[in-house]
Amino acid sequence: MIHVLVKFFGPLRDVVGCDEMRLSVSPPYTGESAFEVLSSRHTEVGLWRSSLRLAVNLEYVDFSKVLHEGDELCFVPPVSGG
Amino acid sequence: MISITNKPIDPASILEQVSTPESGGVDIFIGIVRNLSDGKRVQRLEYSAYVPMAEKIMAQIEHEIKEKWEAHSVALVHRIGGLSIGEIAVVTAVSAAHRKEAFEACRFAIDRIKSVVPIWKKEYFEGEVKWSAGGEG
Repeated sequence: MIHVLVKFFGPLRDVVGCDEMRLSVSPPYTGESAFEVLSSRHTEVGLWRSSLRLAVNLEYVDFSKVLHEGDELCFVPPVSGG
Repeated sequence: MISITNKPIDPASILEQVSTPESGGVDIFIGIVRNLSDGKRVQRLEYSAYVPMAEKIMAQIEHEIKEKWEAHSVALVHRIGGLSIGEIAVVTAVSAAHRKEAFEACRFAIDRIKSVVPIWKKEYFEGEVKWSAGGEG
């Protein structure tokens, strides 16, 4: 079991109702596993899967990325800056 | 020069910052809040950002521009917080030896910001508030 911190922004923040959340992830320690933990808590989040990108420690990575204790994640909804 | 700020953006001072004696061309793009979006009247906007990541990605964009176009100086500035119609949301500015590189690099800068930087725009219409879907806006 590892623990990660997930930050929320934009429309996804409205869906979960908070700025950040600690998640406990069981093996396999991947971004996809973390997402499954999150969507088991908030079923609506699951609907966003195909439009989200994963960031770990401030970098975009694949959902297959291996996570480590203390990582900071963000499931990034479609951006609209600029 | 990278900045995410909640203060009004001054393009004149950015222009001054990127100009160098070696630069024959400086291109500056100014993104302004307009009154229409998707055919509806916009009252105001709010930008929010995952600031540490946005700064990191913007620094990567700056680096990429300097490598690809041999730009002398690059400024990428994005405002966050509440903005009214007519206010400046974003400025990209690039100086280079010649106009070709300056034009291309400045355009790349804004296109790249719009596609990858973790910043979100919330639009307030009459009776409706909506997160922008990105793309052209």
